[in-house]
Amino acid sequence: MKEVKIKTRDLTLFYGAKMALNSISLDIPEKEVTAFIGPSGCGKSTFLRTLNRMNDLIPNVRITGEVLVDSLNIYDKQIDVVNLRKKVGMVFQKSNPFAKSIFENVAYGPRINGINHKARLEEIVESSLKKAFIWEEVKDRLQDSAMGLSGGQQQRMCIARTLAVEPEIILMDEPASALDPISTAKIEELIFELKKNYTIVIVTHNMQQAARVSDHTAFFYIGELVEFGKTKKIFTTPDKKHTEEYITGRFG
Amino acid sequence: MERHFELELEKLNKRILKMGNLVYDQVHNALEALLTCNIELAQQVVELDNKVDKLDVKIDKLCQRIFALQQPVATDLRLIMSALKMNNDLERLGDLAVNISSKVEGVSEYGEILAELHIDELSNMADIIVKDVITILNTRNTTFVKDIFVSASAIEEKVQAVSSRILDEMMHKTEVIVVATNLMIILTQIDRIAGYSTNIAESIVFIVDGKMIKHKNIFKETGPVRPGEEEDFD
Repeated sequence: MKEVKIKTRDLTLFYGAKMALNSISLDIPEKEVTAFIGPSGCGKSTFLRTLNRMNDLIPNVRITGEVLVDSLNIYDKQIDVVNLRKKVGMVFQKSNPFAKSIFENVAYGPRINGINHKARLEEIVESSLKKAFIWEEVKDRLQDSAMGLSGGQQQRMCIARTLAVEPEIILMDEPASALDPISTAKIEELIFELKKNYTIVIVTHNMQQAARVSDHTAFFYIGELVEFGKTKKIFTTPDKKHTEEYITGRFG
Repeated sequence: MERHFELELEKLNKRILKMGNLVYDQVHNALEALLTCNIELAQQVVELDNKVDKLDVKIDKLCQRIFALQQPVATDLRLIMSALKMNNDLERLGDLAVNISSKVEGVSEYGEILAELHIDELSNMADIIVKDVITILNTRNTTFVKDIFVSASAIEEKVQAVSSRILDEMMHKTEVIVVATNLMIILTQIDRIAGYSTNIAESIVFIVDGKMIKHKNIFKETGPVRPGEEEDFD
């Protein structure tokens, strides 16, 4: 197993009085893809959002336990959340381009981080779009509105926007669930390429997608981590009966 | 509500079991024909082989369909992978029954030689090993898998011992060369029956316990599974 990039210890989260995550301890390896699977409401997206403190924005959330990114507890008071989210980027289920040009969408992050030099921005935009495998499709229309891109292109542009601020970890919350099979395949290929340089954590309802793209799979159920292991093992010989029932569709 | 997928798996299980029973009957009748020098029964085995072949194709197609349409994982994946392999092994067992049957005529006038070489004991062992492995296929009780491997080793040893005797006879009595050659071919088939039975037993272990035990000789001697031989997922 590679170096651990993210480590959670007894991570428990309450929405008001409701416990959404129950003492999750998990080691996410560096530069590999870790998938979270489980039925709706099992806590997988909540858990994903704890990894860059996105739950801070939700009222009445109470979190105990630790999330260590590169051995630093991201819930420590002295942690700068903006810097954290720069390091731990996120891609959402629905692509969310800004109503700006493709160029400005990708340049947005670097700009607010103080990069204003035109040539430098152009360089970042080009390399980010290339890394997200969309450069060839948009290089001649960078000044066009991002809203005119197809759903699949928008999602890859959003990934490029995430890459532009040079994160080390990319969290993906159902990144391909709204896309057609060809766009989904492109996103999956992209994930495969990106893991060479980034640690990727993906939430997906599509079990075959988890099986295809991830190195490790964690199965969540009612806020608990039921099983975590190599994807090859989880999808051939899971240890827990519950995992077996879920992935074979015999759940409930 | 029973899912369509469950029905497909049930159909597959039934077909594999049907194949197992059919092949057992074929092996049993071939060995019976050998021991009783019953040429008619031997002929019947040869003719029935096309039923085995048809079922073989049907099972392969069903597995292919399930793979393509259901994308099975975990225990379902193991079942279908193993069904394909077991189907192949069962079909080969059927062929071995045919091979034995086709040699019955060649040894039918040498009943006393068969008795002298205790071919009946060996046939009985081959019959039992196939019967037992089909029972395990039906019950999925892997506790008895070890017995299959023990029986296979015993058959292998006995085949070697009888083969040596036949070779000795062949060197000294040229008049027995034809029947001895037929007998050697029959012995090879019996040895292979044991081999395919262990293959099927390995597949059942893979379905039930998720462990690949092939090529590991874990049932040789009486020792436990050697450390470090558990499934490696690297």
